[in-house]
Amino acid sequence: MPKSIIKTENLTKIYPGNIKAVDNVSFEVEEEEIYGFLGPNGAGKTTTILMLITLLKPTSGRATVCGFDMAKEQAKVRSCIGYVSQDTAVDENLTGRENLLLQGRFYHLPKEILEKRIDEVLEMVDLTDRANSLVSTYSGGMRKRLDIAEGLIHRPRVLFVDEPTLGLDIQTRHKIWEYIQRLREEAHMTIFLTTHYMDEADKLCDRIGIIDYGQIKVVGKPNELKNQIGGDIITLKFTNETNSYANQAIEEIKNLSSIENVVPIKDSHNVVAKDGETTVPKIFEAASKVGATIESISLKRPSLDDVFMAYTGRELREETGSKEDLMKERIRMWRVRM
Amino acid sequence: MSVLVDIWNVCWRELKRFRRQPARIFMSIAQPIIWLVLLGNMMQAVSQIPFFPTKNYLDFMAPGIVVMTTIFGGVFGGLSIVWDRRLGFLNKMLAAPISRSSIPIGKMIATSLISSLQATLIIVAALVLGANVITGPLGIVAMILIAMVLCLMLSGISLALGALLKSQETLMVVMNFLTMPLMLTSSALFPAQFMPQWLQDIAILNPITHAIEPIRKITTVGWDWAMILPDVAIIVALTLVVITIATLLFRRSIS
Repeated sequence: MPKSIIKTENLTKIYPGNIKAVDNVSFEVEEEEIYGFLGPNGAGKTTTILMLITLLKPTSGRATVCGFDMAKEQAKVRSCIGYVSQDTAVDENLTGRENLLLQGRFYHLPKEILEKRIDEVLEMVDLTDRANSLVSTYSGGMRKRLDIAEGLIHRPRVLFVDEPTLGLDIQTRHKIWEYIQRLREEAHMTIFLTTHYMDEADKLCDRIGIIDYGQIKVVGKPNELKNQIGGDIITLKFTNETNSYANQAIEEIKNLSSIENVVPIKDSHNVVAKDGETTVPKIFEAASKVGATIESISLKRPSLDDVFMAYTGRELREETGSKEDLMKERIRMWRVRM
Repeated sequence: MSVLVDIWNVCWRELKRFRRQPARIFMSIAQPIIWLVLLGNMMQAVSQIPFFPTKNYLDFMAPGIVVMTTIFGGVFGGLSIVWDRRLGFLNKMLAAPISRSSIPIGKMIATSLISSLQATLIIVAALVLGANVITGPLGIVAMILIAMVLCLMLSGISLALGALLKSQETLMVVMNFLTMPLMLTSSALFPAQFMPQWLQDIAILNPITHAIEPIRKITTVGWDWAMILPDVAIIVALTLVVITIATLLFRRSIS
């Protein structure tokens, strides 16, 4: 059994106004693991991180990080963790090197060690050439790299990274993923990250926890989760969805041998089938038998988006639901920032 | 000891940032110098009024302008913490194992050090324009020290409000609103004894007066300790109270 380095039990955070940002969350992160929270904005990811790094008091529940109690041994927790926020909080009016120097001093590193570490982390994130330029001249990707480097300066055992590639272009995102993976391999660090990008969770994380409305819906390896869906996903849309022919057709389709499940979504249906390619013609046959016409059909391998949908009943891509959800989310984010 | 290290680190960052913004340095002293030149000449005749404390209006107003510069610098001392909060830098500092109180205290000290630089430059300008400091270089040092204490107090008020308001827009408006009344109800530009009684009462309650009076005694009368010490004691005591309140409010705002 690998040792767990982060452990939470029924962690809950209720903001004033009875907004449950994190709802009874229990999970464990193993040593040298890249563990990701995948969920939409406002799902409670940042709130969870802020509690784990001792910046926010939980309403109830407990957690240990590196074996230290997050509520009682705050100073010890702080010394063993690094934190890279989604804000890319680097000081524009300082150079890259000065930012790192300041950060290292905040962790009380002796001067000689600090000098060496700064060169090391600059090298790691490919910023050695630009170390003495003001950060205000850096691009977004460079700032993020510097931000990550700052999180590494004291060689934490656990690095918390909130939305590591938020708003970055695709090449930069791949670079950042590389750095994070290298950290685990070379520095034997445990990495806890949050993301609302499926591809990020899929490519980067050993295990992910899907979180929605403050609750963990499922935890597992990306591949296992995708396999759990039980097959390929065929999305079909009838010419007239409300037509009774369509309903009859669905019943017919459900009786096909390769079909695992049929889930109605908005104005179409998701059919989960074992063998997608041979199932598509059978669906057409079944539909024409009852006189229903299919307007469009598509076939794809399951992605984490489908996993998300299977466990939460909605798409991760849909950023906002109702206006009320949006307001709630804003209040949540505002509370978090305060 | 590590608290002192933390305070210095917070302070170091502010000083570095200040040095990188030459426009800020220039503008912060340009305005007081214009005041010195314009007001110093415009109001010259005022010093002819019988019982006016000094022969030369410039001698009278130079301490007032030094204190005014300090006020302008100090009242916005809380802004940087509100900015840090918004940019996420505050959380980054808080995630590190540093003393919580070192953040507000380091920022107050930085504001105060910056204002000492500005005060020095204003004094030099005033001397060039013909103002006299009868206690000489030692008097100038004492003047700067008192201005620094006053700046600590004002940045403490600003910081305390920043911890409560959490928005830089509101903080700017509130502090702007406070600056002018603080200036005009003190004896910075005009002797209190010529004011109507009700205004004199306010001037006595205004902490700014208690910073200006000892400075003015030092520059125009000499080391008259009986006149200097009570005011200095009031200012120092008030400053300690404000720093404590600001630090407590800051700690409350992050928990």
